[in-house]
Amino acid sequence: MSESELLEKVIQILTPYAKNQAALASVGPETSILDDLKVNSARLVDVVLAFEDEFDIQIADEDVDAVETVADCVSLIQQKLAA
Amino acid sequence: MAELEPNGALPDLPAAERRALARQRLVGRLLAPVWVPLAAAVLRFGAGWRIEGARETRERYRRLRAESAAPLLVCANHLTLVDSFLVASALGSPAFFVRRYDSLPWNVPEAANFAATWWSRALVYLMKCVLVRRGGERREAALVLSRLAHLMRAGDVALVFPEGGRSRSGRVELDAAAYGVGRLVKALPGCLALCVYLRGTGQETWSDLPRRGERFRVELSLYEPKSDAAGLRGSREIARGILARLAEMEARVLARE
Repeated sequence: MSESELLEKVIQILTPYAKNQAALASVGPETSILDDLKVNSARLVDVVLAFEDEFDIQIADEDVDAVETVADCVSLIQQKLAA
Repeated sequence: MAELEPNGALPDLPAAERRALARQRLVGRLLAPVWVPLAAAVLRFGAGWRIEGARETRERYRRLRAESAAPLLVCANHLTLVDSFLVASALGSPAFFVRRYDSLPWNVPEAANFAATWWSRALVYLMKCVLVRRGGERREAALVLSRLAHLMRAGDVALVFPEGGRSRSGRVELDAAAYGVGRLVKALPGCLALCVYLRGTGQETWSDLPRRGERFRVELSLYEPKSDAAGLRGSREIARGILARLAEMEARVLARE
């Protein structure tokens, strides 16, 4: 899967969890999941678990500490897929 | 490089951080004969708040602390800004907490609500609090969990609200499970959760403060939260399990009204 396809998939997974639906119109790699999309921290865990299911990967608790932006999600998934 | 304490899936806590917590605990403990009875007096006589059946819950907590050396996490429902004081008041008398300072739970108040001025920062420092910033960086939140794990490993008790914030519906919100609670439990093998459901008889929904002269009903339930699932899924399962227990307790308390 190419990086742009991965980015698209990540945004698709994030979409139902974003409280700020308006921010989705301009979402990009640098968009902050918590600050811009207003996904709350409990829901962020659901998002990451959705990544696990979608990409058949396992993400550790400590990996989530590094997730701030959409690009962080993409790079985390790439890392796990490569492992 | 600073010496680090192994901390499971939580970030390691540098020695300087551990020393800072030890200092904070010592200052609070030395001044406990003054501030603990004073805080209890403000609750009881200033606001007129009273816990129904406090004698029984305090006795139960005293026995639990005497009989078990397992790390103990108090998990409570959350409706007002003073819930942590009320829960502590339901679990022990001022004399008990001055004698057994380790049994007085550490709290995790929100910095914006409780540390806006120098005097409020001084108070939360004294009153066994580890501040958290809602919406802050996830690494910062993980470090708060590390601090709690360190304190609990040393024998102290911590109090958390698994819903993460005050329930906007006035009922335990199962979907609000803050997974950090599960992560903390997983970092402490054998950790017990003491679920505390506390509600004022006139408390319809969430608020800043309970009404003056409020009477509170309280229920305790002890269990060992576990999950066979790994990683985040396990943390979420543990947090949801704790909330499910609180919801059952809520149903019992409301049925008594």
